[in-house]
This record gives sequence, C-alpha cells and structure tokens, in this order.
Amino acid sequence: MASAEQSPVTLQHHNLCSRVILLARKIRSDVASLLESYVERQGLDRTISLDSVDGVPVAAMEQGGELTMAEQLGANLQAYRAFQALLGEVLEEQRSHLTPLDTDFHASIQAVLLQVAALAYQLEELLALLGHSRPAWEAAGPEDPARRSLFEMKLRGLKVLQELAHWTVRSVRDLRQVAKQPGLSARGG
Amino acid sequence: MWDNPSLRCLLAITFLHLLSLIYSQETGFPEAPENLKCITHDLNRMICSWDATSSANLGLTYKICYTNSEHFSLVCIETEGKRADIPVTVGSTNIRITTLNASGTSLATETFVLSEENVSLIPLTPQILNLSADFSTYTLYLKWNDSGSVFQYELDASWQIQILRKETLETVALMNYDSKLTGKDSILSWNWTSDIPLECTSYYVKIRCYINEPYFTGRKEWSEWSPIRTVPEKDTKPNSAMVFPQDKVVLVGSNVTFCCLYNEGESIKFMNYGSKSYPLLRLNKWSSAIKVQNVSASISSGTNVWCLLEPDGLEGTVLFVGYAPDTPQNLNCETRTFITITCSWNPGRATALYRQRQTKYILFERISKENVTCKVDELNKEHYCDFPVHANQKIYNFTLGASNPLGQAESSLLIDVNQRVHLETPVKFTVSTNSSTNAHLSWYIPGNFIQIRLLCQIEISNSNSERQLNVSMAGAENSNYRAWVDALHPYATYTFRVRCSASEHFWRWSKWSEEKKLTTLEAPPARGPAIWRERSPVGETLTVFWKPLLLSEANGIILSHEVSCYSREIMLKAHEVPVPLNSTEIKLGGNDCLISVVAKNRAGSSPPSRITSMDLPSDDVKTELAIAAGNGIYISWHSDPNVTCGYTLKWCISSGSEPCNVDWEMFPSNATDAVIKSALFQPGVRYNFSLYGCKHNGYQLLQNITGYMKELPPKVAPNFTVEETSSDSILVKWEDIPVEDCQGFLKGYILYFAKGEKGSSKTSFTDEENKTEKNITDLTKKSLRILDLQGKTSYRLGLRAYTVGGIGPSKDLYVVTKENSVGLIIAILIPVAVAVVLGVVTSILCYQKREWIKETFYPDIPNPENSKALQFQKNICEGNTALKTLEMNPCTPNSVEVVETQSTVLKIEDTEIISPVADSELPEDGSDPETGSHVVVSYCPPIIEEEISSPPIDEPVGSSQVIYIDIQSMYQPQVNPEEEPEINFVTTAGYKPQMQLPINAMKMESHSPTEEDLDKTAGYRPQANTNVWKLDSPDSPISIQSNNENGSFGSPCSINSRQFLIPPKDYEDSPTHNNTGWSFTNFFQNKPND
Repeated sequence: MASAEQSPVTLQHHNLCSRVILLARKIRSDVASLLESYVERQGLDRTISLDSVDGVPVAAMEQGGELTMAEQLGANLQAYRAFQALLGEVLEEQRSHLTPLDTDFHASIQAVLLQVAALAYQLEELLALLGHSRPAWEAAGPEDPARRSLFEMKLRGLKVLQELAHWTVRSVRDLRQVAKQPGLSARGG
Repeated sequence: MWDNPSLRCLLAITFLHLLSLIYSQETGFPEAPENLKCITHDLNRMICSWDATSSANLGLTYKICYTNSEHFSLVCIETEGKRADIPVTVGSTNIRITTLNASGTSLATETFVLSEENVSLIPLTPQILNLSADFSTYTLYLKWNDSGSVFQYELDASWQIQILRKETLETVALMNYDSKLTGKDSILSWNWTSDIPLECTSYYVKIRCYINEPYFTGRKEWSEWSPIRTVPEKDTKPNSAMVFPQDKVVLVGSNVTFCCLYNEGESIKFMNYGSKSYPLLRLNKWSSAIKVQNVSASISSGTNVWCLLEPDGLEGTVLFVGYAPDTPQNLNCETRTFITITCSWNPGRATALYRQRQTKYILFERISKENVTCKVDELNKEHYCDFPVHANQKIYNFTLGASNPLGQAESSLLIDVNQRVHLETPVKFTVSTNSSTNAHLSWYIPGNFIQIRLLCQIEISNSNSERQLNVSMAGAENSNYRAWVDALHPYATYTFRVRCSASEHFWRWSKWSEEKKLTTLEAPPARGPAIWRERSPVGETLTVFWKPLLLSEANGIILSHEVSCYSREIMLKAHEVPVPLNSTEIKLGGNDCLISVVAKNRAGSSPPSRITSMDLPSDDVKTELAIAAGNGIYISWHSDPNVTCGYTLKWCISSGSEPCNVDWEMFPSNATDAVIKSALFQPGVRYNFSLYGCKHNGYQLLQNITGYMKELPPKVAPNFTVEETSSDSILVKWEDIPVEDCQGFLKGYILYFAKGEKGSSKTSFTDEENKTEKNITDLTKKSLRILDLQGKTSYRLGLRAYTVGGIGPSKDLYVVTKENSVGLIIAILIPVAVAVVLGVVTSILCYQKREWIKETFYPDIPNPENSKALQFQKNICEGNTALKTLEMNPCTPNSVEVVETQSTVLKIEDTEIISPVADSELPEDGSDPETGSHVVVSYCPPIIEEEISSPPIDEPVGSSQVIYIDIQSMYQPQVNPEEEPEINFVTTAGYKPQMQLPINAMKMESHSPTEEDLDKTAGYRPQANTNVWKLDSPDSPISIQSNNENGSFGSPCSINSRQFLIPPKDYEDSPTHNNTGWSFTNFFQNKPND
C-alpha cells in the first residue's frame, strides 16, 4: 500500500502520462507496420541513407543539452505537431502522385496521422496540467512540395515515418521520467 | 547558254586542245605565275589563285586578262595579291597573267586556258542560326540558313550535321539532310533525339553543305564545317547532384540510360535501378551513367533509380514504365434521358500508369465538331463520357481518343440517338385498386421523350402465375406514366413491377422498378361448394357434407356455410355453419327434402349447391375389387341407363381413432371409370368405396368397391402349425392373415420345406439350395400335406403369403418325421439272412476243400535247425565285435537281426554262410554292448517249401538254397506285371534288395539272360560301394546262386545290407501291400512256432 494518499492532480497527471505512453507505444507499433508497407509500395530499401532529407524533426538528443521536464515535453509536442503536418503531406503525395489507387495504404497513414494529432493534444493537456505554457505553433517549412521530385517525396515519407518511430520511443522514455516526478514543477518553469 | 548542247560540245573540243597547250608552255622566268587554281561558291564568280616567286622583287603586281564571254572582249584587271575574282565563264577561258614590277614593267607573262573542269564548286560555309534542346525528350533542334539566294535557280543541296559530345568531342552521330535550294534564302530546321538525357553531358553540333549542280562539270566539294555550337545548358541546372531523367515515363521493353551528375569533390559509389546495381559508364568527370535494357512495367509509385555518392550523398529519380493506351473496346453510346448521350467503353489492356500519367480520354463528335473530356474513375474502373444531345441532330459520329505520355489510340461509333434509348429505371412506382379485378399503376421516368413512344412492360405475378403485359404510351418530359390492369382475381395478392424502353426502335429495357404488392378486393364466391349427404341407418337424420372452396373459387375468406332444406320450393329448415366445420346434421323427421348449401364471404354468397336427401333402395349390392394404379385407385363400373344426373363415388379415410373423413367425387352419367387420387391415400391400406347413381328421384347405392392405391407385400407371415407328422408326410395348417396386415389382395401362399436341423447356420430359405416349394393359390385351402418325406428326418418348413406387391415374410418351423419301423426291420433281417446263407455255403465248401486249403495255406514247414545251409565260420566273426553278419543256415531263418555297427568290413565267403554257429552267435552279437541298439525282425521266405521241395537238378550237392525275400523293402522292385503270379508274389512279398545294382557290376559269367532280367527287377542291391563289395567278396552268394530261378541275390555278410533293411524316410510311405506282404510273412513265419 502507498504510504500516503495521492492528490487528484497527481492522479490525473499519472493517468495522463499513462495514456500518452500507451498512445505513443500504439503509434510506434502502427508505424512499424506502416513502414513495412511503405518501403514495399515505394520500392525502397529500409537501409537507404536518408541523411540528405531535411525538414523532419530528429529524435536524437543534442549532446550536452540537459533539458528540463517542460522543455522535454515541449520538444515532444513540437515534434508531433510537425509530424502531423508532415504526415498530411505524405498522405497527399501518396494520393496524388505515388499510390493513387491504394486506399488501404492511405487509410493506414491517415490512422497514424490521427493518432499523432491525438498524442499532440494529450501532450498539450499534460503541459497544461503541469502548469507549463504550450509552445506556439511553428510556421510551416519553407520547402515547396511542388518542386520536390517523386524520389524525394518517397525518401521524405520514409524519413518521416522512421523519425516518428524514433520519436515515439523518445516520448515513452520522456513520459516515464515525467511520471516518476509527480507534482514536480519544471525546473525554471 | 549552258543549255546549248552543240556549243558545249564545241567548247569541250577546244578545251581539250588548249589543255595540252597550257601544260606545254614553258616558263622561263621565276616571276612567271603558275599553278592556277579557281574555285566558285555560287557558279557566278570564281576566285582564282596562282603561285609566283616574288622574293626578290618587292612591289610586284599582276595583270590578269581574260576574255569576257558575253562580249568576247578582253578584260584586264590588276591585283597585288596572287588571287583574282573573275566571272565564271562557260567552256574554257584564256587567262593571261602578267607579272609587273613596281615600275609597271612586265617581268613575265603566262597564259592559262581555264576550263570548267578545273574549277571547284565549294559552297559557302553554312552558319547555324539556332540550336536549342528539349531536355524532356532528349531532343536537339537545329536551324540554319540555306543561303539559297546565292544561286538564282533551284538546286539540290545536301547537309551534313555532326553531333559531338563530352569534352573530348566524340562523334555521336553524323546525319545527312537533303534540301532544295529555291533561289532565295530559307531557314532549314532539323532535330535529333539522344539516347541519353541531354543533361548527362555536353553536346556540340556543326554543319556543312554540298551543292549538287548537275551541269557543272567541275569538281563539287563539301563546304567547310560551320563553327561548332554548344547545346545550351538547362535553365534550372541543379546545384547539387542529380539523377536524370527525372520522373520519366517510358514504354515497357525500352532501353533507358540514366545518368548521375555530381559535383566536384564527389564520386559515385554505385547506381541502382530498382534493387539491382548496374555497371557504371563514365560520361565525363562529373557524370556517370547506367544503361538498363528492356525495362518491365513498374509499380504504381514507379521504379526508383538512385546513385550513392561519396563522401556522402544519395540522389535518385523515379521511372514509370507502362504501356501506351489500348484501343477503347466495346464503345457504346446511348441516351437515357435525351439530354445527354452517355458513352462507355472498356479501356483494354491496363497501362500501369496512374494519375498524371494515366490515359486521358476525349470524346469528339465529328458532325457538331464538339469534344468533351471524359472522366475516368480509376478506383471503380468506370470509363464513361457524357455528350450533350443537340436539338435537331439525330446522328452522332463519335470518336473516342485515348492518350497518355506513351501514345494514343482511338475508337469510333456512329449512332442514331433515337435508336439508342436506354431509359432510366422507373421510380416512384405505385399500385392501387378499388375493385376486385382491376389495379392502377403509376411510375416516373426522368428525361425528355416527347419525340418517341415508350413501351413499358408490366409484370404481374402471384404465387400461382406470372404474366407480362406490354403497354405502349406516348413519351413525355420528366413525367409520370400510368397504366391500368384488369382481369385480376378477386382477393388475390399480386406483385407488380415495370420496365420501359423505346417503342419504335427497341434498344434495351430499363432496369425493373422496385416491386409493389397489391391485394384485390373480395368478391362473392364463384360457385357453391361440392356437397354430399348420408342418411343415418335409421333414416331419421341426414348428414350433409361439403368441401371447402378453393382459394380461386372462394374470392375471399369464407366465413360460413348456410345449409337449407327445401321441400317443394319451401324452405323447411336453414341454419348457418361457421367455418371450419364442413358438415352438419339435419333431422328429416321422415320427410325427404332438397338440401341447399351456400358459401358466404364478406362480399356475398355463392350460388347454391343442391342435393336431394332421398335414397333409393338397393338390392344385391356387390363388392368389386379396384386396381391399384400406383398414384391412385382405378375404379370402373357398369353404366346404368337409369342414372341421369351422374355418379358419386364416396369413400372414407380414417386416421387413427378419429371418425373417418368422408370424401367423394362426382362423375357425369356417361362415365364408367375413374382414377381416384387423394393425398391421404397410403400404399398398402385398403380403402372402401361406395358408388351411388343419381337418378331422377334420388341416389341409389350401386356397388361397393374395395382397393388399394398401391399393393405391398404382406406385413406378417401367416400363422401356421404342424397338425400331423408321419414317417413320410407332414400336415401343415395355417390361418388367415388379418386384412390390415395383408397390404394388398392376397394371391396365395408359398410353402417351403427342406431338410434342416434347428440351429443350422442358414437363416432363410433363400439360402437353402435343396429346398422344395409349393405354391398354394387356392385361398380357401387352409392346410396342406407334404408327402414323400424321409422318416426320422428333421425338416425345416416355411410359409409365406404374397400379394401383387410381393412376397411377405416367412415363418419357419422345424419338424422331425417319425421313424419307419417296417423298413428298419427289413433292413436288419435281410443282411442277417444273407450272412447265414453265406456262412453255410462257406462251411460246406471248406469242408469239401479242406485238403487243398491245408496245402495252400498251411503247409508243413521243415525245421530250419536241420538245415546246414546257413552257417558262419566262427573264427571269422570271432573277436570282431564290429562285424555283424547274418548267419545263413540251410533252413530258412525266421528272423533277421538288424543292428548298427561301425564296421566297414564287408566280406562273407561261401563257406562262412554255412557256419553252424550262426544260431548260437546271433544272440551274442545282438547283446553286444558296443553295437548299440539293434532290431530283430522276422524273416521267412514264403515259398521256401516250394524251393526245397523242387530243387534244381543241376544244383551242386550240399549247397543250401537261400532265398531272400523282401523285408520292409526300401523300394518297390520293378516288376513286369505280366510275370507269373509266383514271381510276383516273390518279388512283392519277399525280400527286397535296397538298391538297384548296375548291370555290369553285377553281371557274372554264369548268369543267363533270364537271370539278368530277374536281376533287374528283383535282384538284391547292396547299398555300399558295389565295386568294393564285388572285389572283396568274389565268392559271394550271387555266384553260388547264379542259377536260382527266383532271381534273388544273396546278400553277403554285410552290415550295410542289414542296415538298409530299414527303409529310409523316402520309402516309409511305401505302398501298403508291402506291409501286407510283411504281415503275411509274419503270419507264415509264426506258424511253425505255434
């Protein structure tokens, strides 16, 4: 038995963290299968180098940058907002250019897109619950999708899915840390 | 001028003459001009140049004089250079060139006769006006001026265009292009398509010209190459590495070259097409290519081509490989509304190209010259196009064009729109009625059909029937259409649906509308019910029966039946019987009346059905048998002339304990037979029918009929018993089978009987092979006596009844007949009497022939002890326990000792045979402990008495006669069946040698031929080595008994011979007569001892 009763806010915080973790894991699972069908439909190899593709949030942490809890959550939120937009682009490119007749495939992307949107919303809620301000929406990337070649579209979609999978792992890790610190205010927040 | 042939001929001769003069001129001064050369660019003027030494004399000038061909006057010009521009003259021209010094003094003069052959025609160097490139199609476009104005007349010109690429200017193509110069300047254009993307490397172009003047006899040469031109770079040259071509579409089977451009400091690691890496072709220092042959169709997202760069970079492109559009198939155009014409088609082979690359269709109408772009639903694979219907245009000539980046195709169709009407499905379909037989239908068809008539088909169906009604009606615009249907049945539920088409030119029916159900209103029943009546036995009450009306007759729901009783048109009684009752009782009270039955529903009453209650008396009503018809019962009757209003056949079907249901059928007066069918009839059940005749004053029972719908075999076996049994007969008695178990009209019984014990394995008489059956067709007979049986024998009896439907089951009984005592007595007495008689006769005969019998069967046998024939020398066998020999005495020994021994010594001499100690030594040998087991067998020749009684005359005195007779012979000697009985007896019953000796080995000098024969058949055969035996015992008994008529070989004193007296396994089963012989021998042997 717990030594002390938990406050309703703490409980809510725990519940929300659990839901976010659960959703992140679900997204990871769905993205993993989506990646399989993506590389198959695009004729790509998963080992292909995607270093040249930019404009996709990278999950790898900058070294030496110790982030506060609020910064971690804010980075997660920003990433999923970006993925929401990127997945929309990927979906549109698939519908218009690459796999116009593959409606099942489009539905799979759409499903991940909705989950990402839900995850972003839950992160916003969590930030609010912890008393942090929500980061503002970042403007869309400067790149004009119309000037992208089809091959670039394929690589970009692959990178979006790969990084999304990485982000879900990072989110689970970050959220677990947040969950271990009930009622803590963010440093400097 | 050049056209004059005679003049040209004259000039040619003159030219040839002068030519020799030109080269024959001597040049004595160094300043003298020489090597005059002339070229022309335009056939108008020529530039002549010459060589002359001028090193020592500066300021030299040249004076050139030539004859003007037009005026034949001498024209002179002065020039400082060694070239002059003079007009081209026809034929030959004398050109005199004088070298002048600075003071104008002539230093040397040279005259040249210049003919046309010595003039070269070299066109002016062409100039490229424009060089452009279409990078998407890898095509270069070239434009240049043909400078046709240089010549005043038409000339054929040829152009040579050279394409070079890379920095090394490798020639890619050298193409010829012919044109015609028209006398004025023209811009010529030409294009060339590269096999690799133009972006992949640098391209260069240059051009030169050749004028083909047919009448110019001089040399015609190519012009100088134009200055080289470089293919301009693409406007959007990438800053980073790139793969070309970008997102290109090619045909399946094409050969495609891809190149990867990269920047300085980068190098290419590999390049892939799909998942396969291809060898790199280096184009230049910043570009490499791969060549893919015979590409196959790509997936919808295309095939990736990518190159991996060092140190870091990945670039790629996507290639779409597909097919050009197929010719649209099954193009069909029709109108549904007269507002648009809808054309649909099958696209044929899939192109494997989608979206921006997919096939686009355009429908073009030639008469109106209008076209529309068609929609293609790739997901649903629907291809259709709507074209507007024009007023006052009936004929439409459509061409459907299909195109995609790889090609195009088309298909055409000419239609008359009035003949291609395929209406929309009728909607808003309603059905209504306000009567029992009519219905009103209404539906809506969208479209403008004012110009045509419509044909609509109404389908009317109910559970029993289905019919279609065609209705023609005038077309209208977006209107409701109505129809009226009659001849419907009252109170019937119908299902309606409708479809329409053009009436005059039928093309296709529309789809059926939705179905609508309608039930018509009720009407009074169409007819009265079928009725029958039955009087009670007393006659006080009358039961009236009626059958329910069919649905088609009831015209609604029958609520009740009204039964009335009329007497002379006056209704005596009436009462209403509600459904579902179908009978009622009326008390007549001794009066007859006319019964009337009326069925009623909500709409009214049926016409009445009437029947009189009066029954006419019947006498001598017979019962007839009906014939089973399988599906009914066939009944026939004799026509009765007094029957005026038909026959009624009545029956009653009972089901279980409930009272039977009366049913009947009426027939006209002329009917004499009928097949009565009923769903209630069951096979094997007997039904009783009563036939009534309707006469003017009542009904009369004419006949009773009984029958089956289908006869079956009897259900049970007849119950039978054995009434009486004797030694040779059985009386069987049986009982009738109950009618309900007969299942048909009984035709007889079959009685089976056969010998058999109770509990035998055979379960039925069908298995019995020796059964006897009796068919009893006389049904009145209830017993049968089975005769000619055997006494004290068990019989199995079976009795089965049969009908037309088959034979019923059997009941079996087992009966044992009684013993026949007389026969037994006779059977005992006769053998006894015969035995007594035989005994008496035998006794008499024996008494009379007693002497002969004694001599034959019981002769006196001499005592063998008195014979010295068989004696063994004591000293031979003494001390040698291994040697066991048979002591042969003059008498016939009565036993032979058979013992086992290890001795191989086989030597017996004649002298030893007559040893007197044989008798005394045999027991000793036999008791020798070293010999092991031994057997003493009886031995006695059967005919020894004869041999002794009649010895051969030439037999040496003192020699004993020894005869060996078969003792359990090891084999049957080969005996001639024609031999004398005595010999046979000897050979069969006497001693049998154990093997056949070879004739040569056994042959003795004293042997006669007959003896040899005997040897072959009955001679003794020693079983050991016969040669040894012969050598070792030259004086064996064979030599002594060489004249023995019995032909038996004497056996030496051989243990082997004694051993072989025991037959081997193979001969253990020897014929029994051998044993018989043996027993006989024993018999006679034992006799003396007795």
